[in-house]
Amino acid sequence: MTVAEQRDLATALGVDTPGDGTVTWELLAGQIEPRSDSAFASRGEAIRADLAGRLDQELLERERENIADEIRRLSDVRDVGVPDEPSGLYTDVAAPGWRLYDHLLEVNFFESLDENLPRFTADHIETTARELLLADPLSSSLDDVGFDESEKTALLLDVANNDERLARWVPSNQIPDGVEFETETVPPLHQRAMGGALLWIRGLDRHLWQNEVMITDEILDDAVRYVKAMLGGLFVTATAACDLAGDGQFTDEQLTAALTAGSAVQIVSQEELLHSVFYIRDDMRAPSELR
Amino acid sequence: MALRNDRAVQAARDIELQEIEDGYTLVGGPEEAVTEQHDTDRIPEVDVDQEMLSNTGDDPESWLMYGGNYEQHRATPADVITPENVSDLELEYELSVGTGSSMEGTPIVVPGDPPVMYQTNGPNHMKAIDPREGEVLWSYTYAPPIGVELCCDDNNRGAAVLGDKVYMTTLDSGVIALDRYTGEEVWHTSTADHEEGYSATWAPVIRDGTLYTGSAGGEYGVLGFVAALDAESGEMQWQTDTLPEDEWVGASREHGCGTTWMTPTIDEERGVLYTAVANPGPDFDGTVRPGPNFPTCGTISLDLESGEWEWGFQSSPHDVWDYDAVAPRVLVRDVDVEGESMDIVAGSDKTGWVYMLDAESGQLHERSEEICQHINMWEMIPHISEDERIPFVPGAPGGNDWQPPSYNPETGLVYVIHQNYPQDLYWRYEEFSEGNPYWGGNLDDPASEFPDEWNESITAFAAVDPATGERVWREWIESEEERYMWGGSLSTATGLVFNGTQNGTFVAYDGESGERLWEHEFDVPISASPMSWYDPDEEKQYVAVQVGGSGWLRQGPRGDTLAVFSMDA
Repeated sequence: MTVAEQRDLATALGVDTPGDGTVTWELLAGQIEPRSDSAFASRGEAIRADLAGRLDQELLERERENIADEIRRLSDVRDVGVPDEPSGLYTDVAAPGWRLYDHLLEVNFFESLDENLPRFTADHIETTARELLLADPLSSSLDDVGFDESEKTALLLDVANNDERLARWVPSNQIPDGVEFETETVPPLHQRAMGGALLWIRGLDRHLWQNEVMITDEILDDAVRYVKAMLGGLFVTATAACDLAGDGQFTDEQLTAALTAGSAVQIVSQEELLHSVFYIRDDMRAPSELR
Repeated sequence: MALRNDRAVQAARDIELQEIEDGYTLVGGPEEAVTEQHDTDRIPEVDVDQEMLSNTGDDPESWLMYGGNYEQHRATPADVITPENVSDLELEYELSVGTGSSMEGTPIVVPGDPPVMYQTNGPNHMKAIDPREGEVLWSYTYAPPIGVELCCDDNNRGAAVLGDKVYMTTLDSGVIALDRYTGEEVWHTSTADHEEGYSATWAPVIRDGTLYTGSAGGEYGVLGFVAALDAESGEMQWQTDTLPEDEWVGASREHGCGTTWMTPTIDEERGVLYTAVANPGPDFDGTVRPGPNFPTCGTISLDLESGEWEWGFQSSPHDVWDYDAVAPRVLVRDVDVEGESMDIVAGSDKTGWVYMLDAESGQLHERSEEICQHINMWEMIPHISEDERIPFVPGAPGGNDWQPPSYNPETGLVYVIHQNYPQDLYWRYEEFSEGNPYWGGNLDDPASEFPDEWNESITAFAAVDPATGERVWREWIESEEERYMWGGSLSTATGLVFNGTQNGTFVAYDGESGERLWEHEFDVPISASPMSWYDPDEEKQYVAVQVGGSGWLRQGPRGDTLAVFSMDA
């Protein structure tokens, strides 16, 4: 994160940047004023009503914990370097995410989110970031799975500083007819966010193994960095889903924020992965050993 | 009979290419196919068999398939024309094909007395020609249905032959089989519904009684496939979709495209084919199709018998620049890499590099040095805002569009054509308002501002070493009229490489050094790939090329000529 990005984040949230320019989750959380947002609240309420009784709490909590385990063991994954086969290393990392995804698909979770969550606009994104900061259960969960202060802040940055980029991801039921492609087969936005992230994580095995001659340590570092971010986003969504399925500790505003943020992080980090790891230009690649 | 009295030629002329909102359609033309016979008795009735097909790459007297051989080397073993004598190469004749349309094809030649050439051009017109005399023996035009959707032109790039039949794809996504002795229709098989946007423009390839063909329609939201037909009956043997279900999110796969719109490469030893896979759909909005969109903008290998998946590789994952992989894959066997031998599938792609893949595993052996420039490569998403656009190179035509590379066994090098011209890509992001176009993407050619780093050369012709990816030589070819270079090359056993340019120059290069040894000027661009054969009765080596502008952008004026050059042995 650059100083400028951190400053932008603070400004977006109406918080003064400290003298040394360092903005952290803790700093922001300490200075944000709670603000009741009835639109966010009613959305959260609608989602609870929609999904009541459909979510499998046991499955969600199990896979949420499995995702947490995958986040914790990412440094071991990184130590392997380039996978030695086209399917295995990162495929395993994605596996609990896929089980979570399959269940959410089954219960029409993604449709409900598209119906009820706000579209990515600057205002909604700002509210999302504020509510995240105020959601103590979420903050401490991220601590537990091993996101340090700067990684947590980076997740927040993904949400708050990318409103224009996020705005391009439109809920499927809001893509109008004038576009040049068939809209009926576009999956719900939140399914695209999660399904896309999981395809990228799993696809790393094949991509890194096939392109080994061009892969550098920096590319591998970036792969793990953005996989961690994507899993972080998945973890946030899973935490919210568990809350929906279980004891409902989140306020309705926090629930809306967590679900919005989970998808936002998955979206932004899969695009970062694409640029840092999959699009290998000549200036990034390992030099050829043959010429 | 003069061509003006040839009803098949007239029928082809009657078919008009009409611009529509999203491309082109065909209007006019015959209700039924037309065959005009001139002198069918001249065609020796000697069926082409599998042995001839498998050996055509080693037989100087034949050129029995689009790519010269199954490996698509586009290399003739004929050795009459050499670097030392090519300056004496002369034009034997020019045959006017009479149809005035797209001329992107490569003829094939069946040896005999006389040899018989089967030559195709747009729109779905074929001739059987006595190539000694330059005389038409029969001609044929297919009757396209109403409502064909074509992105780019009414192309047909060549014929395939087996037994007593000759075959070409039809613009309505079909394959027609003709009696090659009479030009009469035998069967037509549709591989997909043209009303959904499918079409076909490439030369098919036949092996072991099976005809292999691909799919087109990547601008129209189709689902790409490779198909295998029984060459005798036209019956479908298998059809494999290019997009695996578990590689796409939900129903985004249904219109995910990934077409395969050039001739597949056959590996007889492994019993597989290799083909390039084109862009994902929709072209420019990646948010509705997240994930790598595997295996679009890449290469796949399928089993010849079953169509089952072997492997896939992507050169531009989750592409939003229209960076199709499309040029035929070149299979180079027994490449010596640091003392070890490997078979390499070389793919020259729109991304501006040549990819050398391990034929067995699909792993990248090496990616070449760049062929065209790379300016703002892959930089469009997400770093733009609604008013911003940046020029990028390669543009949507590449790099290497469909232009087939050749492989020269004498020099051991692969020769490729790359475009090098800045375009803009932008998203029109607008607030939703009912009834108005929302957002989509679009291309501007040329870019609104040319980047300082651009070298002002619109195209390049280059030689690449498949063992190392070294770009051994490169010639920048400029064009005052700013046309793209749209044909492909021919290699000879004597180390020559022939290439036709958008300036109408047909060049013979020393394949080793890149020095131009001979040139011939035409008035219009060359947008086709040449071929060559040796006629033992005439004791001459011939080189043939179709001449005329073609393409979806910057095509230049049309032409109507099949030009044949010769040299005495």
